[in-house]
Amino acid sequence: MIGHISENRSIFAGYHPLVNYMWFAYVILLPVFFMHPVIVAISFVPALAHSIYLGRRRAARFGLCFVLPLMVIAALFNPAFNHRGITILYYINYNPITLEAVIYGIVAAGMIGGVVFWFVCYNSIMTSDKFIYLFGRIVPAMSMVISMALRFVPRYRAQIKRIIAARRGIGFDVSSGKFIERVRSGGAILSVMLTWALENGIETGDSMLSRGYGLPGRTAYSNYRFDSRDRTLVLLLAALMSVALFVCVTGLISVVYYPMFVMESVSPFAGIAYVCHGAVCLLPLALELREDAIWNMALHGCGACAGRQEGVPCLK
Amino acid sequence: MFEVRGLTFAYPERGRAALSDVSLSVEAGEFVVICGKSGCGKSTLLRHLKTVLTPFGRREGEVFFDGRLVESISKREQASRIGFVLQSAENQIVTDKVWHELAFGLESLGEKTPVIRRRVAEMASFFGIQEWYEKSVFELSGGQKQILALAAVLAMQPDVLILDEPTSQLDPIAAEDFIETLKKINDEIGTTIILSEHRLEGVLPRADRVAVMAEGRVLCEGGASEVAWELKRLGDPMLTAMPTPVRVYLALEASQALRRVRRGSTERLAPPSFGSASLSVTPCSASRLRRSTRSPGFSSVRQVPQTVREGRVYLEGKYAGRGVDGERGVGGDEPARNNDGATREPIIEMKELWFRYERDGRDIVKDLALNVYPGEFVAVVGGNGVGKSTMLGIVAGDNKYYRGKARVLGFDPKKADGRCLTDAGLAVLPQDPQTLFTRATVFDNLIDVATAHAKRRGEPASPEEIEAEVCRVCEMTDIVNLMGFHPFDVSGGEQQRTGLAMALLTKPKLLLLDEPTKGMDSFFKEKFSAILKRLCSDGIAVLMVSHDVEFCAKYTDRCALFFNGGIVSEGTPRKFFSGNSFYTTAANRMARGLFHDAITAEEVVALLL
Amino acid sequence: MAAIIVILCIPAVMAVNILFFEDRSYYATSFIIIALSLVPFALVFEGRKPQARELVVIAVMVAVAVVGRAAFFMLPQFKPVVAIVIIAGAALGAESGFAVGALTGFVSNFIFGQGPWTPWQMFAFGIIGFLAGLIFYRLAASIGAPSRDGSGAEGVVAYKWYDTGRLGWNVRARKRVEWLRVFVLCVFGGVITFVVYGLLLDTAAAIMFSSGDVTLSQLLTTYLTGAPFNMVHAAATVFFLAVLARTMIEKLERVKKKYGLLGAEA
Repeated sequence: MIGHISENRSIFAGYHPLVNYMWFAYVILLPVFFMHPVIVAISFVPALAHSIYLGRRRAARFGLCFVLPLMVIAALFNPAFNHRGITILYYINYNPITLEAVIYGIVAAGMIGGVVFWFVCYNSIMTSDKFIYLFGRIVPAMSMVISMALRFVPRYRAQIKRIIAARRGIGFDVSSGKFIERVRSGGAILSVMLTWALENGIETGDSMLSRGYGLPGRTAYSNYRFDSRDRTLVLLLAALMSVALFVCVTGLISVVYYPMFVMESVSPFAGIAYVCHGAVCLLPLALELREDAIWNMALHGCGACAGRQEGVPCLK
Repeated sequence: MFEVRGLTFAYPERGRAALSDVSLSVEAGEFVVICGKSGCGKSTLLRHLKTVLTPFGRREGEVFFDGRLVESISKREQASRIGFVLQSAENQIVTDKVWHELAFGLESLGEKTPVIRRRVAEMASFFGIQEWYEKSVFELSGGQKQILALAAVLAMQPDVLILDEPTSQLDPIAAEDFIETLKKINDEIGTTIILSEHRLEGVLPRADRVAVMAEGRVLCEGGASEVAWELKRLGDPMLTAMPTPVRVYLALEASQALRRVRRGSTERLAPPSFGSASLSVTPCSASRLRRSTRSPGFSSVRQVPQTVREGRVYLEGKYAGRGVDGERGVGGDEPARNNDGATREPIIEMKELWFRYERDGRDIVKDLALNVYPGEFVAVVGGNGVGKSTMLGIVAGDNKYYRGKARVLGFDPKKADGRCLTDAGLAVLPQDPQTLFTRATVFDNLIDVATAHAKRRGEPASPEEIEAEVCRVCEMTDIVNLMGFHPFDVSGGEQQRTGLAMALLTKPKLLLLDEPTKGMDSFFKEKFSAILKRLCSDGIAVLMVSHDVEFCAKYTDRCALFFNGGIVSEGTPRKFFSGNSFYTTAANRMARGLFHDAITAEEVVALLL
Repeated sequence: MAAIIVILCIPAVMAVNILFFEDRSYYATSFIIIALSLVPFALVFEGRKPQARELVVIAVMVAVAVVGRAAFFMLPQFKPVVAIVIIAGAALGAESGFAVGALTGFVSNFIFGQGPWTPWQMFAFGIIGFLAGLIFYRLAASIGAPSRDGSGAEGVVAYKWYDTGRLGWNVRARKRVEWLRVFVLCVFGGVITFVVYGLLLDTAAAIMFSSGDVTLSQLLTTYLTGAPFNMVHAAATVFFLAVLARTMIEKLERVKKKYGLLGAEA
């Protein structure tokens, strides 16, 4: 996984899962629903910054090698296939390339890039624990299965290694022999694994029964507590989000791409919406940076250098 | 607390009853151990104590819990009051996170979050789980998983805790720790504990009462001493599962009593005196006192020493100054069981080997040197996680050493890839034989291996020949009667034998064993060693890594201590173990004051008679 | 039961979406439709209150599929996941098949990373498991002897169908039937991988790239460029079904019988 900063160290991840979830739902869905160029641009930058903050070099590499080409393709995909719009720039194979489609493609690319980066953050912050907490009450059986499967996966991987070694020990080697033999050997490994998993799984079922699984009125426990810190952040986020949403929904900012690109974007209301949206997107990152600064201050009495590289002495 | 009355039970499609007319009662606060060889019905009996776990089958008799029929008690009450820890901690753990596992049972009971929070916190603190409370289960060690499985059951605050062979998958040190923890729970919380076990060393001294089962019946029950005497009287093979001090004591006292009887003494067999040592100062005396008020027969039975300390006090009290002194011993060095080995070409030759898993990793194997000769049974002993298994991996060619020189069956294991070593006659019996079973019957599994190897060797054998070969090996490993079963339907010991048969069908010249005695009961150990002996006499070399000091002392030709990446000492079992003072057998530690080189209970007894 | 709810639900959701959202937000709309179409299955699954052992078997299959996906990470598209999901559906029934499929999609993305594709994958895998169960589990029931013994319901019959050894046919006919059955399963697997999984995820990709303003030619282009990948995926499914189907179904049936998981579907 891409997350570099562990769940425990990230400040925002330490908030209640509901807060995390609310924030992600907003930052991912709003630009998707309202593909307004400014909103998309305001989302994109914090998304990139936050994912790099969480993933460091790996996130940057991921962005460069995977997301950038993806965005380029997305930006080209639209004008190449979509010939709506009235401002024709030029023709390729008698197909008109329109300015509107080009703009749309670029905005779409920004939106997609933003979504991918937000998901990078999502994967680092929304751990399975949080998901199970959020959905454990709604779909208890399914989240039980998820929890069990997450327990089984590393166990099975280890078991497969053991099976491979054990089979090699009695002369069945996966890595040698004809292709057909190797395939058969691979099949045998999976087959041993499945038998083992199913037979041992039954004892797991017994263990669940023995501890009362299936009794009516099962509750869902979690380590999370919705505290005052969460309440403050939720209220703040909710206020900012509702302002931004209100402005978007009521059409105070709007955009029409076809047939002609028209953008309603400069007005006091729009300004407020942009500020609010930007604030929502940046808030978690700001929380992280503030915390880093506080720790830096505590460690070597300088908050300003905000050098997050541990062990690097402050130069001031 | 529990009362089992005349319980008889048979699994469907099996002729013999798994339990026949079992009666047993357990009082509140007791620590009861049910022992017996594997397949004697211990697990079946325990599973009848909780309705949801009771197997399906033909059944007579009743089980009462708190005076009520156990079936009539609601599932909810059973779930919370009767805690059951299953045999395999790995299988018992359901969820992926430690905290969630602790909360699992309480969630089922529908407890509210604050209640769960408190109970989980209590459990975590009691067991010292705080450190790994938020971890994923797969990051835990075997011992930690066992503790977690226990804590997860205890979080429901049961009145009684039932454990089915909880230590069978643990190494001796972790097993000892675990039993200690159980005792702590029993003493400090007052939870009743019912435990089934075949490894009695650690459990016996801590148990209030022991019930011995054989073939679905309760053979005898009572305090450890009573049971020990009773087993001696019956001449039951379960005696071999008793801790060394018990065995030595019983053998000595019984033979002396016999001698006295022969001399015309009127003394009866059972109650000889306890030597000069008094047990009134032992820490267990309190529980013994408690017991003495319960069992009227107590006074008639002499206390049997159960720990090395008690055994040592007994031996020294009785024999010191009676012409027995520290200089006497078994005498000479035992004839090396395979002393012609030195003249032969070694089958494994390792010199100054170094190995690490990663470039920047720690050296796991350092300057390792070891030779193994044909027909030799060599054991490498050592603590947990020191790299013994890594060493086996080097021999098998799985781990490539980066410095040094090694030859296995004439090949360099570093360059050997895939099948070259197994073709040359190497076979490995893995720790968990379940990793080998591909097919739906034991027979098919064996046929598969035999066919593949006949083909590999380029001797196209007819199905009859292959079958004959399989039958030969099956007779040798005593699994003929299992042929038609699914390998997962047979017991652990039987799985082990099936695995061994599969390894033997490759016609090995060198057999590697990784902790083969883990989870084996003492009877099967004997059988197992006999099989290995036979292999060695056919010229097969066996290299085993093990924690099981007693087994190594008794059956191997040569032992070596693995520590800090290399072999630090080696020699015949006698030389090896009598040279150690901590890492040695119970018999050796017990008789240390009298003889310097007796390493098994049998030897101690033989020297003193 | 689940089928009915889904059939009723999806058009309703679509109608709601068309009524309330502008044409532009295809992407978000489709995302929501897909996510919502998972709901009825989940509800039916939850409503059934599956027993502990059944959950374990489902979790085992999910984990096996996830491990399978991880094991072949170096080969793009050549994954055993669909094959395992089909096997699970055939052996455990439609609803469990859906659960195995959908949760495989979800859980494997904890390793490979969640993204906008997650609900699509969940739905695609899920519906494949569902269809496999619908066709093979029911078919199994109708082909086998309809007698129900005391211990359970259709599961017993299904067991007999797969374990033809019990039907006492002569060996050659049995072999032929076995091969025919695996063949049918393989064909089903190949087709459904290509059609359901391939097209669903290509549609998702097309909608994502065009950010909602999807045209027919865009869709077709995506399908065309996706076709080779989907072919590989379908081939992988056929391959893995051919290798695994028989033994895996046997094992599942054994466990069902041994531990009384029969009649998993009421």
